[in-house]
Amino acid sequence: MQRIFMYWTFSLLMAGVCSAVAADDLFVVCHAGVTLAAADVRDVYLGEKEFFNTVRLVPVDNIAAQPEFLDKVLRMNAAKYATTWAKKSFRDGINPPVTMANDAAVLEFIRRTPGGCGYLGIAPLEGVAVIAKY
Amino acid sequence: MTRQVCRVAAWALCLVGACGLSSHAVAADNQNDRVTALEQKLDRSLKLIEQLAARVRELEAERAGTSNLTQPAQPAQPAPPARPAEAAQQAAVAQSLPQTQQRLESVEQQLTQLADANAARGGGGAGVPLHGFADAGIGNHTANEPGLQGANIGALDIFLNPQLGEHTRSLFELVFEVNSQGQVAPDLERAQIGYQFSDAATVWIGRFHTPFGYYNTAFHHGQEIATSLRRPRFLLFEDQGGVMPIHTVGAWLTGAERLADGRITYDVFVGNGQAISSGSIDPRSGGVAHGGAIYGGNLGYVFGEILNGLKVGVSAFRSNISDDEQLGRITQVDNTGVYFAYDTDRFEYLGEYYRFNDRDLTDGGPARQSNAGFLQLAWRLPLATPYVRYERAVLDQGDNFFALQSNGMSYYREALGLRFDLDPKSALKLELGRTKNTDRNIEQWTDAMLDYAIRF
Repeated sequence: MQRIFMYWTFSLLMAGVCSAVAADDLFVVCHAGVTLAAADVRDVYLGEKEFFNTVRLVPVDNIAAQPEFLDKVLRMNAAKYATTWAKKSFRDGINPPVTMANDAAVLEFIRRTPGGCGYLGIAPLEGVAVIAKY
Repeated sequence: MTRQVCRVAAWALCLVGACGLSSHAVAADNQNDRVTALEQKLDRSLKLIEQLAARVRELEAERAGTSNLTQPAQPAQPAPPARPAEAAQQAAVAQSLPQTQQRLESVEQQLTQLADANAARGGGGAGVPLHGFADAGIGNHTANEPGLQGANIGALDIFLNPQLGEHTRSLFELVFEVNSQGQVAPDLERAQIGYQFSDAATVWIGRFHTPFGYYNTAFHHGQEIATSLRRPRFLLFEDQGGVMPIHTVGAWLTGAERLADGRITYDVFVGNGQAISSGSIDPRSGGVAHGGAIYGGNLGYVFGEILNGLKVGVSAFRSNISDDEQLGRITQVDNTGVYFAYDTDRFEYLGEYYRFNDRDLTDGGPARQSNAGFLQLAWRLPLATPYVRYERAVLDQGDNFFALQSNGMSYYREALGLRFDLDPKSALKLELGRTKNTDRNIEQWTDAMLDYAIRF
């Protein structure tokens, strides 16, 4: 039974990996209930928008998908992103997004954290709000 | 038979997945990056499978343990009959086990949420992130003390932004500088504690950079993030000869509101009126025994897609400034200013203009006008960022506010500079400048300076 379960899971995951990579999409998602316009994503990741109604937004970076996110969404490279945040931290006293290792960690964090937002290289399943697809 | 069918079905599914993978790999044969990403995702998937399998084993083990408790195995030899009290206790334990398990999972989940929330606020187990700037230079004059030359230590600036909760924020900045006597002087540059109601409103209390114009709040001691080697002279820090109230101790309301294409920013502040003490402005961080208050505001507009990177604005403040050497003498300083900052990947253009309209409240008399401003143009080229700056201050020497300041004379300065970004966190800057004092002590000099600035 255990072996069948492993085969089944493996097959589904393989199919998921194939379709995700083939699509090469980037999904910006937030905790369920958070509704943002796609145009807000840039503001959230540059520290210009910190609240959704009364909920503090908690954006996180995803190392695995960061180059694609910076290129497609923020339209800047990693050095410019770091410099922008250095200035923002110094001027306004806020900290840059915490960095997470991969899609699974980001997804888990967003599901658990009210106001959590992140971006994924795979299509999210359930329990999160998809803000934009790039 | 059923087991064999299941196994065959599982292998078939596995084969379908593998076929999908291989067909995709063939299609993307020339895309090594994609293949690498695919391999990484495959590794992660296998790890996930292992974790899931481990979890299944754990659950099965737990289920077996529970059934052992609820249905104890028959002993090999007849045991003495259990006493009624022990049997009741065992039954109670067996009943409470699922509840205990549920509570443990709930506590575990809450702990994880707390850890995540702390991590997200930057205040997790790793402590509060520490940031800062530092620089050192060499030249025929030092950047801020024209009477000195040679090598000099600029400043060591340390700041931290502990996030204390959903709405409470704080910012502390400590600077170590070497003064003209060569002594190290620590200075609490900023100490702010604020409550953030929303994106549109944050109230700070404490000592902060007075929000006039753009340059003062944008760069201040952040030498590495400023393009030029030194600040405009009239915007120098109070203890280095600046003639503006660079810091205020009081309350500050600030925020921004997004419009259709762009954002409006605003600042409103009130604080202790500064004093002139030993020839320089004292922000009176400890409180006020005499004198007045400073209050003012700043209204800016940040452009969106059209003219992206451009900010324009106006600012104004009024401060009743006392003189520590002549108690009771108060000068009312009225300042209005306009500014712009156009910062893109290709260039950075900055300009500010201020007009003073000051009155001596002790003797009465006419208002005295002065003005100061600068224009700085920088071009971000692949190898370096060349820049030019012109600054001019025409300060009425009959105005007590300037006459009592040791550096309150009129001047102009022309500067040419070159900035090399050696890596994302360090820059080497060269600057040639010519400065002329045009009243009080008329003199002029030429500077050639080098500064190495870092951030961390």
